[in-house]
Formats: sequence, structure tokens, C-alpha cells
Amino acid sequence: MQRFATLFAGLLLNSWSATAQSTDTPTPRPWYVPDHATLQTGGGIGMLTAGAGYTPGRHPHRFDADVLVGYVPARYTGHRAFAIFTAKATYSPFSVRLAERWRLLPLSVGGLVNYTPAAQINRNSADKYGYRGYYWWTPTLRAGAFLGSRIALALPRTTGGKREASLYYELGTNDLYLVSYLPNRQGLSLGQLLTLAVGVKVDL
Amino acid sequence: MTNVFFSWLSTRLLLGAFLTTVAASCDLLEFSPNDTHAPASERDLTQKNLAALARQPVPTRGDTLRFVFTSDSQRYYDDVPPLVASINQQRGLAMVLVGGDISDFGLAREMRWVNDEFRKLKVPYLTVVGNHDLAQNGREAYQKIFGPLNYTFTYAGTRFILVNTNGREYEFNGHVPDVPWLQQQLADTADVRRQVVMAHVPPDDGDFDAAVTPAYTRALEQAPRLVVHLTGHNDKFYVRQPVPGRVTYISGYSIEQRNYLLLTLWGRHQYKLETISY
Repeated sequence: MQRFATLFAGLLLNSWSATAQSTDTPTPRPWYVPDHATLQTGGGIGMLTAGAGYTPGRHPHRFDADVLVGYVPARYTGHRAFAIFTAKATYSPFSVRLAERWRLLPLSVGGLVNYTPAAQINRNSADKYGYRGYYWWTPTLRAGAFLGSRIALALPRTTGGKREASLYYELGTNDLYLVSYLPNRQGLSLGQLLTLAVGVKVDL
Repeated sequence: MTNVFFSWLSTRLLLGAFLTTVAASCDLLEFSPNDTHAPASERDLTQKNLAALARQPVPTRGDTLRFVFTSDSQRYYDDVPPLVASINQQRGLAMVLVGGDISDFGLAREMRWVNDEFRKLKVPYLTVVGNHDLAQNGREAYQKIFGPLNYTFTYAGTRFILVNTNGREYEFNGHVPDVPWLQQQLADTADVRRQVVMAHVPPDDGDFDAAVTPAYTRALEQAPRLVVHLTGHNDKFYVRQPVPGRVTYISGYSIEQRNYLLLTLWGRHQYKLETISY
């Protein structure tokens, strides 16, 4: 866990220093350069998950679209490490100013889809069971939804604008947990479905 | 002095609350639904239940042994608490056998949800792996949370042999079920008066590796101490004896059917079968 924390901090600092250099250029960025970088743990999409995304609306209310790649070490998969590829959308409709440079986005709602191309995941090949739909779900593609909050700190840019670094958490679930819960609302509680994600985003 | 005490107490309480929150958060911090993570108390359940069984004196007198056989809890979470409540009212019960398909998607969390209820049983429970428990990353998850896919234990002079028969999940590779292993277990009769085999897929089912069926059934037929062969998978209760006087094949109820089997064994081959509704 300590090694992981060091790695996490190291990557964060690394992205920080890299972005600090790039912001010195006063010219407007080309459209394809992402608006922010993201680093996350948990949420069913990796132990260490890094990505980048766009914020079309910019501040103060924001809609984020991110693409992330997650890593799950072999220790947690029983055999080989997983890579998880995720597309994620988050909308934070409210913004509360806490202090001069701090604001809180008390509610974030979002959804994601992810793909785990791991060979050790036993595929539900169509011909495995003679009757169609015996295993009706896809084993490597998952969909998820979440709610969360986010706290953001505005940082001055040398070019005069501002950018934010923020810390967020998300409580979510996935399609398979949800279909387990829906017909079993006495036998399972919502709390048993939850996954937690914690992450940071830094505007580029 | 009182202030110091209260500040010490509140610090302790705050620290306790903080540590509890951190522990709960770590448990929620899921890296993938396919990860095999589980807290230490929810790992190696087979081994733990066997240890609990070994500590437990045989609850019935003489050579009588009574246990429950249930199966296929897969995604029927609403039906598990009434099952546990009903089983907990049975007298003289030694253990509960679960005939596989504990999970539906082969996810660790599903297995843990079922264990959350089954751990409320007053007696140990033992499982055999089902085909759904091998879906996705289930092969790893099942082994982490429950234990081996093939195993045996002896209790009250009865040797229980639990064998993975989900041949289709291995694309009928000719090695599942592992017949040489089964033969070896059936042949090891030191201090064993009788034997019980439990598997998920019955040998006459299309999901059993047909290439292995003759060797498997022959191994069972050549075991004179075998009392019953128990399976799940079909959600259909039946008792069959294809060759009169030889192996008795019992297919049990699924948990969703709101019935379970209560088996009482005595003597060498005697058994009583009761269907209990809940």
C-alpha cells in the first residue's frame, strides 16, 4: 500500500510539473489537447487508473468526458494483471464557493463503460452452451453509474488565466451488481452494491 | 482530570471512527468486479468451515449423520435468509452442503453476498464449484473465497468427496471431472464406513463431458461404500438408480424452489430423505 501511495504521489507530481511547463505558452491550445489529466483508484476500473479528458462547458458548472486506462496487479486478480479501458462522463451541476480559491462541487453524477481484455476471464463463447443466452451478459464489457463530490482549488497561471486541481470521490456500482439487486431488494441492500473511487484531476 | 479523561476518550472514539471508516472504504475500493479481493475473514471459507466441523462433536447419537443439501443460490438473494432461518431450526444437524452455482456471474462479491447469509447458519457449510462460479474470473475468485475445486473431508465415519464436474467450462478437455483423483479418493477407505460424492453437473447432463462419463460412473459403481451421489444444476429434484442396487443419484432443489433436502445416514447404506419447504 505504501509503495502504491508513493507511486501515486510521484505520478501526480510528474503530471503537475509537465503541465506547469506547457501552460507558459500563450497561444490557444489545439482542439485535441485534453483539458485535464485524471488519476484515480478504485471504482471498478483499476487500482491505478490514469487518463485525460475534456471539459466542454468549462467553469463553474462542468461536464467532463474522460478516457482512462486502469491497472490491476496480479495480486488482486489471482493470476495475471488486468488492464481496464474506460470511457467516463461526469456532470457536476452545482458549484459552491468555499473560500477565495476553493470551491465545492457537492454533487457529481456520471456513467461509464469499460473493457477488460484479459485472457483469464472465462469467455461466454456462443457455442459453449447449446442454447442461446445461457450466459446472457458480456464478460469483458461493463457499464457503471456513480454519484460523488469534488473539491477544487484554483491555481494561478503565469499566463493570467486560472486552472484547477481537484480531489473527488465517487460511490458507484455496475450493471451486474444492479441486476443482482433489482429482483432481490430484501436479500441485498444498496450498500452491498457500492464501490468507491477516489481521484484527482488537474487542468492542463 | 475529568476533562483530560474526556479528551482522551473523545480522541480514542474519533480515532476509532476514523479507522473504521478507512477500513470500510478500503473494502469498497474495488479495482475490478473481476478482482478476487476479500477481507481475511471472507477468504478460505472451505478451510474455515472444515476446521469448525472438526471441532464440532457429531450432534446425533450412534453412527447417524444428518445434513442438509441445497444448491444453486445464484442471484436468488431474497430466498437465502428464509432458507437459513429454516435450516437453523433443524435438530441434530451436522452441516449444510451446497451443490454449486453459489454465484451467477462468477464474481467475488456475489460469493461474499451469499456467505454474508450462510455464515448465520448454526452449523458449518461446504460447497462444490458450479459452472456459474467458473464464469468470468470465477475460477480464481472461488478458490480465493472458498478453496479447492476438488477436495474431500471425513466426518462421523463418512468421507465426503466434492468434485468439479463442470466440463463444459473447460471446453470438454477430457480432464474435468478428474476421474483418477476421484478413484483415488474412493479407494482411500481408512476409517471410512461410507462415502458421499457431491458435484454440480450430474453425469447424464449435456454440460458434463460425455467423453468422461463412462469412466466417472464406473468409478462410482466400483465404490461399495458410496451411499449417494448429490448434484445441483438442474433445479429439479429426483432420485435415480440407473443400475438397481448400485449408485443412487440425487438431484437437489435450487434455493429459488423454496425446498431443500434433509438427509439422514446410518448403518452402511441406509438413508432417509426428507423435503423441507420454507
